[in-house]
Amino acid sequence: MTAPAVHLASVGTCLPGDPVDNATLAKLVGIDEQWAEMFIGNAARHFAVDLATGQVRDTLADIAAAAADRALAQAGLEAADIDCVVMGTATPDQLMPATVNLVADRLAIDNVPTYQLQSGCAGAFQALDVARSLLLAERCATVLVIGGDVCAKHLETDYDPASRSSAELVNYALFGDGAGAAVLTADPLGESLAVHQILNRLVGLGREPGQVIDWFGLGDRHSDRTAVFEDYKAIESAVPLLARQMFWELLDDVGWRAEQVDYLLPPQLSARMSERISAAMPAPDAVRVNVVGSVGNNGNALPFLQLAELLQRWRGPGRVAAVAVESSKWIKSGLALERI
Amino acid sequence: MTAREPIAVVGLDCRFPGARDPKEYWDLLIQGRDGTGRVPQTRWDAARYHRTPSADGPQPGRANTLRGGFIDDPDAFDPGFFGISPREAVAMDPQQRLLLQCSWRAVEDAALAPADLADTDTGVFVGVMANEWACLHLTDYENITARHGSGNGYFMGANRVSYHLDLKGPSLAVDTACSSSLVAVHLALAALRSGECDYALAAGTNLIMTPAINIFYTQAGLSAPDGRCKPFSSAADGIGRAEGVAVLLLRRLGDALADRQPVYAVLNETRVNQDGRSNGITAPSRWSQQRLIESAWRAAGVTADDIRFIEAHGTGTVLGDMIEAQALGRLTAERGAGGSIALGSVKGNFGHAEGAAGLAGLVKAVLALHHRTVPPSRYADEENPELQLPTRRLALLKAPQRLPSGTVHAAVSSFGMGGTNAHAVLSSPPRTPHRSSGRAPGVFTLSARTPERLRPNLLAQADALARQPADRLAQLCWTSNRVKSRLPHRVAVAAHDLPGLVRGLRAEAERHGRTQSGENPGRGTAAAPAVAFAFTGQGAQHAAMAAAWYTASPVYARLLDEVDELLRPHVGRSLRDAILEGDEDFRRTALAQPALFAVEYAMAGALADSGITPSFVIGHSIGEFAAACTAGALDAADAARLVARRGALMDALPDGGGMLAVPLDAAEAGRLLQGRPRLGLAAVNAPGRTVVAGDLAELAALRAALAGRGVTARPLDVSHAFHSPLMLPIVDAFRRESAQLVPRTPGLPFYSTVHGRRSAAGEPLDADYWARQITAPVRFADAAAELLAAGPTHIVEIGPRAVLTPLLARLRQDDADGAAVSCHAAHPGEHAARCRPQQLLGELWCAGLSPRWDAVYTAEDQVPRRLPPYLFDDTFRAWRSAAPPRTAPELTASTPVIPQGAAAAAPPGRGRGESCPPATADDLPHSVGELTHRLVCRVGGHEPAAVHRGSRLHEDLGFDSIQVMELKARIEKELPRLGSLPVEDLLASLSTLGDLIDYLSECLLTDPGDVTADRPTADGAASTAADRAPDPPVERLRDSLPEGTPS
Repeated sequence: MTAPAVHLASVGTCLPGDPVDNATLAKLVGIDEQWAEMFIGNAARHFAVDLATGQVRDTLADIAAAAADRALAQAGLEAADIDCVVMGTATPDQLMPATVNLVADRLAIDNVPTYQLQSGCAGAFQALDVARSLLLAERCATVLVIGGDVCAKHLETDYDPASRSSAELVNYALFGDGAGAAVLTADPLGESLAVHQILNRLVGLGREPGQVIDWFGLGDRHSDRTAVFEDYKAIESAVPLLARQMFWELLDDVGWRAEQVDYLLPPQLSARMSERISAAMPAPDAVRVNVVGSVGNNGNALPFLQLAELLQRWRGPGRVAAVAVESSKWIKSGLALERI
Repeated sequence: MTAREPIAVVGLDCRFPGARDPKEYWDLLIQGRDGTGRVPQTRWDAARYHRTPSADGPQPGRANTLRGGFIDDPDAFDPGFFGISPREAVAMDPQQRLLLQCSWRAVEDAALAPADLADTDTGVFVGVMANEWACLHLTDYENITARHGSGNGYFMGANRVSYHLDLKGPSLAVDTACSSSLVAVHLALAALRSGECDYALAAGTNLIMTPAINIFYTQAGLSAPDGRCKPFSSAADGIGRAEGVAVLLLRRLGDALADRQPVYAVLNETRVNQDGRSNGITAPSRWSQQRLIESAWRAAGVTADDIRFIEAHGTGTVLGDMIEAQALGRLTAERGAGGSIALGSVKGNFGHAEGAAGLAGLVKAVLALHHRTVPPSRYADEENPELQLPTRRLALLKAPQRLPSGTVHAAVSSFGMGGTNAHAVLSSPPRTPHRSSGRAPGVFTLSARTPERLRPNLLAQADALARQPADRLAQLCWTSNRVKSRLPHRVAVAAHDLPGLVRGLRAEAERHGRTQSGENPGRGTAAAPAVAFAFTGQGAQHAAMAAAWYTASPVYARLLDEVDELLRPHVGRSLRDAILEGDEDFRRTALAQPALFAVEYAMAGALADSGITPSFVIGHSIGEFAAACTAGALDAADAARLVARRGALMDALPDGGGMLAVPLDAAEAGRLLQGRPRLGLAAVNAPGRTVVAGDLAELAALRAALAGRGVTARPLDVSHAFHSPLMLPIVDAFRRESAQLVPRTPGLPFYSTVHGRRSAAGEPLDADYWARQITAPVRFADAAAELLAAGPTHIVEIGPRAVLTPLLARLRQDDADGAAVSCHAAHPGEHAARCRPQQLLGELWCAGLSPRWDAVYTAEDQVPRRLPPYLFDDTFRAWRSAAPPRTAPELTASTPVIPQGAAAAAPPGRGRGESCPPATADDLPHSVGELTHRLVCRVGGHEPAAVHRGSRLHEDLGFDSIQVMELKARIEKELPRLGSLPVEDLLASLSTLGDLIDYLSECLLTDPGDVTADRPTADGAASTAADRAPDPPVERLRDSLPEGTPS
């Protein structure tokens, strides 16, 4: 049986700087444009760092605050209306203080509970889930949920492109920076959407991580461990299956049939992979909302960018199923929305 | 307007003990900090009037406390800002000075320029009960001067604000003792509701300059020995006095919302009543308080279920707390909703601010509603059980409490000693989101009274903007144009993103930190502006020329669209698209001429729409068409048709013509042309800057001849020999094209570059004129010289590149009258900023023009946002300390620190009795002071001259806990009598070197002795030590020091 709904009042997003296309990437970091187009498929992404100069323009807190401010403005709320903030990110600006609290400070939010989840692609769903639970428990009435990632730390701008392996170059073509935010409320606010269910399941027992982002400190900064690692083969084989599982779990939970789903937000990996997964998902008549091709894989921001794109396109009643898969230690997540 | 019309608090400013502005006030409240301190040396010699009461009661003429709530720098003022002479400022009650500055800041805080309130019916209502300045000055009969009349008196506190801000509504002071400022708010509400005024400043002020009321409170058994109010606490033992000044800007809520003005909170209702013949004229009356609150709640339509928190009068006297709890409890106990009503009193944070107390509470409530969080109440941990707060459904807040979403209500009480009570009911502001357009550019304007104030104000804005959401850039810039652009010294920074703006402001601050005083480019000119537009000719065109204007200026975009529509049938394509797409380089004159015209037409129109309207025009060659449109001598449609035809005709001429820039005067160049029929004088741009045009072969010959004379001529990159005999074949065709024109005379002085002078009244711009223009030389130098002689204050070059601007700058040098002209290129060229239209308006504003800023912002970006208010100059200081009664004030060694010319206004001999806080190490008291100073310098490695009493150990001198421990060890070694110092006291309660000296002095004073000294002692700081240790003569200090200590 489905739990009572909470409400999605608004979504705001922020992509730093101008879009960086593959031609620019080819020029600045030496990726092969045709290869990027063929194997990754992402046409553009945004970076918080200026690739040409190496200057870091924005922190995660900067873009998360901008996204949050847009979500607040969209919902017609002021910072003082927010009584809880939950944020998901894989790449906090610092390990301490948690970026969520810097964002709260920027928005002049104080004296409220805040949470930051260390998370990958499922982080947005986890953050939304925490928010929903707090709302249902009547611990608060208006929650700001934020997701975002900034990969500036992992982009080297002063190296010889010829010396890089293709695995390293993939990172430039695949990832991007961005932030998204949503306001969830206990009571409907204007033209809000009912959030019927959010599911999160860890399914990584005994499985090797498909993605690793390491961090270094004074003691091990000279270690030769890889900062960013992906097992693309494992990801390619596991994600489609997990995505389908989550779709059916979600529908069972809310009691919908596949043909009743109007919009489907599939997992976002690379544009090529997302297209394949998306095509293989059930509910063939549901409109797919994929964004990774134009914004790059910006992790915790992606579901918000998908929601923003959805709200842009969609008027009137309908049902939405969203699925994300985090391939680090393998988490599958799902979200069911409805506008009546 | 109705009797119940809600009133919005739109702006506020305040200073309270431990808080220099509203932000610091909120921090003090939310962190539950204590703002009290030792009576500063500059007020009076606290030790002299202090005596712990004995069993027989208080000693006459003595107070039982050494502490209170004192604001920082009450002696600082910026007289020049308000046009007040230093001498007059010295004679003004400091309360008047503080009210002036706070009022200005409160208006700015409402995102409003104080100048916009000038000559309006804005009211000023000031609550005040302290007149101690008068007590100090008006008893010194020998020294009463004419200025003392305007420097004193309650009335003048309000009237000065009205005078200096030119406010013409009601202006009055209110004295109902401690309820004065809430009563002032009550009167302001009535004036707003009756329509007597549309804005009202409601203020409260209190400065403690003498110990008189401390002694009175002590004698009446009302004074807390520790100088702290402990409201509703079982530790409550009386009142601690406090200072404060606060100003609210109030407005009818409907008006504020219509103007999209930010609203802190809403005042729903206020009520005032009197105890009448109660138990004694100074005794509070439970029944009157109860009736007052009942009546206010009823009028506001609220019950105990609606009220979330109450800011009580709460002085922390046992009787007062009890009566207030009973009066409130009668109503609050009826609460049917869950939970209790939060109860608190800001008096717990710094004491009772008397005349400003009502506003201290009201501002606290307003900020709580704004932040949706109620600050905790100090001393809530030791709630007085006798008050039975839980059964009255009242709860002292031990920690901040979040307010729930939706509208919430609060109430504020303030009671006067003579029985006049006031109560207010407030609510949270309505939700009014104002979305921005997104990422539009803007120009931030900041102005200051003096060049020196630019830097601190720029930095304050940069710091505040760095914390703002990115999308608000344009709204914040628009607000700065509205609020911050009226003072004489100016800085403008245009930006297309917020981080860029913050960087720009910091760079300007840095620049102005280096600029010598008086040397400031951004200074509005005094003369009435007379602007000339100079329209560029061919050669200025380039790919994507001025494309930034299309995205940055909505009016430019509209005008370019319009003129593009007019041109398209004649040119056969969209020149707008050709410009915006950026791949057309406009080398072909058939495109270059109409494209330049289009850009110049739209640019001139956009500038005129921004309030930059020309009084004169001049155009160079093709530039004369847009100039003629601007001067009203050509319709845009006619001009479009003509420039397209002109360009096409010239384009169709055969190749083989060129142009040569010759560094000679026109006359000399003219002589060279004799015998060269296929060459002509094409342009005379400036002395020694002439252009000849014609057949390429003849030009080459001329160039060679000149080279032979050592003169370097430069061929121009042009397609044809414009303004030469080679153009003759098209003249008739163009005259026919122009024949349909209705000849019109320019509506503005038109400096014709055909005539080389201003067009005369009988010289219409007709077909003949335009036909002749094709072959006639461009006599720019002559026309421009006449233009300069006509006395324009500003010349703006209209075109996509700065071509005429350097010529004009050169001609200006040659013209003695023209030297004052300020020259600007509307678009300097390819490298112009993306936000060039905004940048240009900023540039012109810095040069003294008054743009209509709204023109460069969309309607949704014209939303006022709060910016930090003005930071005043605080170098002027004037104060008068309380002297022992019945003796003339002593001549103090230190004269007021008055800068520059001010010194003459207050010569040492006239400044008797006015002292100021010790400023340098030289002023430190001897012995302990010098020793401590020396040790602090040694431990911290500081230059002795750089360390003074006010130096903060942590913030200024960088002392960390390790250095404090070292200092402690050294002090203990040098002053063995002290024994071991409690480190907690050193760490927790000592902020400045002065505090430390006072603390050590207190510690050294162990024997109570007679108070006989009439010179200041080095005062103690820590209350625990202070309250234990009364005050022997300072000479004892010296005796206690080890040998060799300097004294």
